[in-house]
Amino acid sequence: MGLMKVSVVRGGGVSGLVTVTTVDSQTLSPDDAKTLSRMVEEADAFGEPDVAATHDAGPDEFQVSVTLEDGTRHHTVTTAERDLPSRLRSLVDWVSSAPGRTEEVGPPGTS
Amino acid sequence: MSMNEPLDAPFDGCSIAPPDILIQVAERGRTREDRDAATRTLAASTALRARRSLVRQMIRQNLASVASLLPTSTGEQNTVYDVAGGGSQQLPGTRERGQGDPSSDDIAVNQAWEGADETYRFYSDILGRNSVDDRGMELVSSVHYGSDFDNAFWNGTQMVYGDGSGRIFVKGGLTAAIDVIAHELTHGVTQYTAGLEYSSQPGALNESFSDVFGSIVKQRALGQTVDQADWLIGGGILGGAFTKNKTALRSMKAPGTANDFDQQPSNMSEYVDLPDDDDPRHDHGGVHINSGIPNHAFYRVAMTLGGNSWDRAGKIWFQALTKILQGDSDFHAAAEATVDAAAELFLDSGEESDAVQQAWKEVGVL
Repeated sequence: MGLMKVSVVRGGGVSGLVTVTTVDSQTLSPDDAKTLSRMVEEADAFGEPDVAATHDAGPDEFQVSVTLEDGTRHHTVTTAERDLPSRLRSLVDWVSSAPGRTEEVGPPGTS
Repeated sequence: MSMNEPLDAPFDGCSIAPPDILIQVAERGRTREDRDAATRTLAASTALRARRSLVRQMIRQNLASVASLLPTSTGEQNTVYDVAGGGSQQLPGTRERGQGDPSSDDIAVNQAWEGADETYRFYSDILGRNSVDDRGMELVSSVHYGSDFDNAFWNGTQMVYGDGSGRIFVKGGLTAAIDVIAHELTHGVTQYTAGLEYSSQPGALNESFSDVFGSIVKQRALGQTVDQADWLIGGGILGGAFTKNKTALRSMKAPGTANDFDQQPSNMSEYVDLPDDDDPRHDHGGVHINSGIPNHAFYRVAMTLGGNSWDRAGKIWFQALTKILQGDSDFHAAAEATVDAAAELFLDSGEESDAVQQAWKEVGVL
């Protein structure tokens, strides 16, 4: 079974805080791990450009980074939230509510 | 109905018609008066500008040259939409409550409407400003954006509110906080006035003006003096991600103490120098963090002058924002601008400009 890890970093919103939501196929149920792989493929996430921004994020609008790792490939897409391509948005929404996800919150500057 | 036939029914230009009907009337209305009325309504409607596809359609139909028909509205126009879980392509959503409409069954709609109303009336009654653009621009808000969306923002044309996930914000919390609503609307005011760039020090000033007027609007709504105010932004709406301290998003009185992750400085010696790049971890160069410094300066001015925060301190800050500051103004420029504004507004008194000067010294800017 392929390894797949997806991290979504959001910052710049009204709270001023940075949230990192991660799913790792190794900690998901087999069904959820399959769903994750399928959604990554459907989103063609590894094919998206590094910076998908078509405009600057507005005041308090989220800036989002989606990082994907599958053991051989590592890719990050960064964009203002409103410019998330819809297929990538579906992946982000799924990751954000997946059972077994981990979530961290911190101030800006956290690396 | 064929697309090319004239419309027979007379057009009531005063009714609030759906945008697609307005476009049809603007193009094919029976009389010139009907067509112009529809065109004016389209031009004035911020909600429609928010729907970019409609704007493109208008341009294709050669309706974009409407500058001569733009009205100057003298009254408040406040409309709340439900975007029902949609994203930016679905904005603004379904119209739920407009000016003069009764309350909705949806609490978020009512809170967004009442908060925008309170903010409009503050700017109008106290500062003489007719809406965000000072030309009676319609206030448009959309609620229920995204799913479990822990944010509210100004998108350049309208306000947008998520429901909150329960993690950063309690569900329903974003529209419940009037200071958050006034904070977002004030981003619009800044956009139309100083135009402070959303980056590093100008961006932290942009954030600070939104917190300042967010707090003032809340204090006025609660009938509070500066001593009675809690000087918190987003108090009581934080969710389960905060395990020890979930008091508020920010404190103007005591930056850095509002919640588990609050690291706002209150002095230039603690300025957080983050790069302004695309990285979501860098917050456009720390605009939400470094806003603590100008926030605290305002707090000190307001407390020194006493009374209500909008009597003198708020007017000084508004004068600086709308008459002096520019897109690239930094903290030092803001300090000079507010000292000058205090001297301009209170010509025979040194008390106000002294208070402003002293406050900026205490936060390490002057």
